[in-house]
Amino acid sequence: MASILISSSEKYSGKSAVCIGLGTILKRKGYTVGYMKPIGNLLVDINGVLADEDAEEMRRIFGLTDPIKDITPILLTENLTHDALVGVEKELDKTLNDAYSNVSEGKDVVLIEGAGGIGGGAMYNLSDPEVASKLNTHILLITRYDSVFAVDRILCDFKTIDDLDMIVGVILNEVPDSEYEKVTELVVPFLENRGITVFGVIPQDATLRSVTISDIIEDLHGEVLAGADHLDNLVEHYFVGAMEVNSAIKYFRRAPNSAVITGGDRSDIQLAAIEAKVRCLILTGNLRPSEAVLGSAEHADIPVILVRGDTMGTIERVEHLIGRARIKQDMKLNRIVELIENNVDVDTIAKTIGL
Amino acid sequence: MLKELFYPESVAVIGASRTKGKVGRAVLENLLNDFKGSVIPINPKSDEILGLPCYPTILDVPDNIKVDLAVIVVPARFVPGMINECGRAGVKNVIVISAGFKESGVEGAKLERECVAIATKYGMRMLGPNCLGLIDTTSNLNASFAASMAHSGNIALMSQSGAICTATLDWADANEVGFSKFVSLGNKADLTENDLLLEFADDDSTAVITAYLEGIKDGPQFMDIARRVSKIKPIIVLKSGRTAVGSRAVSSHTGTLAGSDEAYNAAFSQSGVIRADSVEDMLDYARAFSSQPIPRSKNIAILTNAGGLGILTADACSTAGLSLASFEENTILRLRERLPPAANFYNPVDVLGDASAELYGYALEVLLDDKGVDGIILLTSPQAMTAVDEIATIVAEKSDLSKKPILCSFVGGTMIAEGERILNSRQIPNYSFPERAVASMRTLCAYSEIRGQTYNSPLSIGSDKEMAAEILENAAKRNQRTLGLESFDILKAYNIPVVATEITKTLPQTIEACEKIGYPVVMKIVSPDISHKSDVGGIRLNLKNADDVERAYHTMMSDVRRYMPDAHIAGVQVQKMVAGGKEVIIGMNLDVQFGPLLMFGLGGTYVEFLKDVSFAVAPINKDDAKHMVASIKTYPLLAGVRGEEPSDIDSIVDTLTKVSQMVVDFPQILEFEINPLMVLPDGQGCVAMDIRLTRGDE
Repeated sequence: MASILISSSEKYSGKSAVCIGLGTILKRKGYTVGYMKPIGNLLVDINGVLADEDAEEMRRIFGLTDPIKDITPILLTENLTHDALVGVEKELDKTLNDAYSNVSEGKDVVLIEGAGGIGGGAMYNLSDPEVASKLNTHILLITRYDSVFAVDRILCDFKTIDDLDMIVGVILNEVPDSEYEKVTELVVPFLENRGITVFGVIPQDATLRSVTISDIIEDLHGEVLAGADHLDNLVEHYFVGAMEVNSAIKYFRRAPNSAVITGGDRSDIQLAAIEAKVRCLILTGNLRPSEAVLGSAEHADIPVILVRGDTMGTIERVEHLIGRARIKQDMKLNRIVELIENNVDVDTIAKTIGL
Repeated sequence: MLKELFYPESVAVIGASRTKGKVGRAVLENLLNDFKGSVIPINPKSDEILGLPCYPTILDVPDNIKVDLAVIVVPARFVPGMINECGRAGVKNVIVISAGFKESGVEGAKLERECVAIATKYGMRMLGPNCLGLIDTTSNLNASFAASMAHSGNIALMSQSGAICTATLDWADANEVGFSKFVSLGNKADLTENDLLLEFADDDSTAVITAYLEGIKDGPQFMDIARRVSKIKPIIVLKSGRTAVGSRAVSSHTGTLAGSDEAYNAAFSQSGVIRADSVEDMLDYARAFSSQPIPRSKNIAILTNAGGLGILTADACSTAGLSLASFEENTILRLRERLPPAANFYNPVDVLGDASAELYGYALEVLLDDKGVDGIILLTSPQAMTAVDEIATIVAEKSDLSKKPILCSFVGGTMIAEGERILNSRQIPNYSFPERAVASMRTLCAYSEIRGQTYNSPLSIGSDKEMAAEILENAAKRNQRTLGLESFDILKAYNIPVVATEITKTLPQTIEACEKIGYPVVMKIVSPDISHKSDVGGIRLNLKNADDVERAYHTMMSDVRRYMPDAHIAGVQVQKMVAGGKEVIIGMNLDVQFGPLLMFGLGGTYVEFLKDVSFAVAPINKDDAKHMVASIKTYPLLAGVRGEEPSDIDSIVDTLTKVSQMVVDFPQILEFEINPLMVLPDGQGCVAMDIRLTRGDE
């Protein structure tokens, strides 16, 4: 049985996406794929059992029948941290090993997803390198390449790993178009010269960064006032409508895949957004817009969402959502697999871990 | 075209009611009051209303009665069903008075869409919904719930506000102002201002068209129709929502954008539409057109019995761009013959406070005979000896025979009331103060120019359309919405001169390019994400050698990365430094109502502050372009002040027409700007230094 731990320099680097992509491709090649996330940090209640949201999603995607407690044996609860801080022995290593051997049973390969960044879990002696060493597996490092400083991060991460043979290589993720050429021509050769294998360079993708309007509604506890049939639309950016109406149309037109956040009383901005055919309107301050505006939005098939929060708070929420949206839609799942297939050398990864 | 809407032989009222105070009763009563054709009430709960046989549905009306028009007053949710029944019954015109449609929200919007779909399916035309109805005084049709019938007259009015309709009707009743057609537009779901413009143009009983509008549905079509109609009869439009607060009110009231006021001004002036600034102005102008001939030109004579009023009027004429006529010798001689020696025989002619009606009449006649006088403004102040009623009677007589406009301003209250009543009864407007008379005279004069205006389509300009198309297609493939310097070639495709330039990606390439172009050079950042380069340190001027270029390159990159860390930097552009020219801006913004709206203005630091720009809706011809350039206040700076060499204005005109053609050729261009366009001294042309373009989906 082969296995690999998917780690990352920071949170939100794309570990889950890589797990989905790798797993799906390996499954298609005929392997039986298993999955575990040793430390669950996004707690959800699944039929009375505490579980991790990512892990639960993965269980669904891969059609796994393993019990939840084996897929996510350790949950990052307050008890856990408290006990660790006061020094209560929890025998986490045993929990981990037992779960791993259960999950591994009958599998050709097990994908192990790290928790947060590479150092996450260190206070329980369960940082990604520690977990890898305890389970005697390999590490694949995912780094989000936002600027050349990502190179610093990668080199630094490598210094945290005692046994460098354990780490098989890196994937550079979400590389902006403007940096792509530089990354392939300069950064990759530089890393390879340092003996670091780069398995892939994945360009930034608008579909994956986007968030559905339903997600926004859920997160903001919004009320849908119009366009209820179009909540699957994907939003890639947001605008704040606080300017004069004629400039507003110009701005909105530059990026129509956007949500426009404005006050319920700014009917001119709302109409400008409808005219520019943006993806949705988010009205703040619980101020209901004029009925005539809603009529126009309905005509134009543009959802209008009313939220209680003020504009500043709403901006923060939406900003947080875009680019960090969890992957639930089939469209996104297919896109991930496509991106990994086109940009990552899955065969070499498979060979390296002994598949 | 809409004949049966205005001249039906039979009208059905769907939702007719016998209950007083209900709209269904008011409409029925209004129809019964004047209309000579047959009126058919429809209501499933009655057999008879107001003595008329009532049918449960329109489908139950006997076959021998052909219903031309149906007025629908049932609650909104039943309206689509009623329209469908009308369609099945073969009714071709419906007026939906009922409210509760798009103006009332999501459900209403769905209902409205449904109504339009049904009407379209049966080939019917629909007025409204959410309107007052319509009145036609030639066919004695009052298919509205207005409180009264309009007086007969030659003014046609359409209004997007029902309240302005009712207020105007009441005002018109008090002032004996008559209308030919009176239409409340409502939500304009099907019939719009454009349909009615065409209808009013064809209507022989209409001499002047007025409209209160909060928006225009199809701007280019409006301009096209208005250009044709305004040559036949004057069109006066009161367009509200001019200011930020006003436009917000329009948006929340109608659920439409009020649109940019510059675009409306440009579109109206390019299509012969007279813009009124208030309801009062609109009605003032309409009354002038309704009763007075159009002057040949704008030389005005003022006739007054009070010096002060005369002077005020002279000032107002001058401010309004009207000239005071210089009289022929004979005119002065004739005036001297009868007027007292203390009178003023020159313009403004003052017949003095004790002037009799007869003397007024004499002077008026003399002025009308003067070939240099195109129109007369007649002022009367009620002084002790003034026989206001007699003066009004004489003026009315002369006015009836005159081929020149005579606008009256009897100024006062109680003492002039009888004079005003006499004028009103003869359909002659009295303007309560001289400035209003002057404004109306100015409008009459403006129309004499509008009537003679020709609208020539611009000549086609040689261009490499394929090359421009390719640039835009490539951007579309990259999903790039904002284009900048890297797309300079789009200007070359339209033969617009551009500065010698090269785009480079590295420092060595940059220095090489600078050596080739020759110093001094300008260096700019190339990034589709940066629209205001200078704000983020993305421009370096006057670099004289390779050392300058190297230092500028490093500091510019560092500045831009600091201000715009997420911007995609495609490289830098080096340009030949151009000196000795004046900076101007040519821009375009795709207007919501009218399409590509071109902008021209002087460039430089103060441009944002001065807002000295002119606008025109594309396509424009050379004359339009010249007009745009000459319309800015700072035009003299281009034409050359104090012995300064004039700039090459022809080259600006040329560039404007080329940009006009480009934006018309490529409707996917949402925004475009050449900023700056460096205009060199006369005869040396101009060069584009930088561009910005926003692309939409085709």
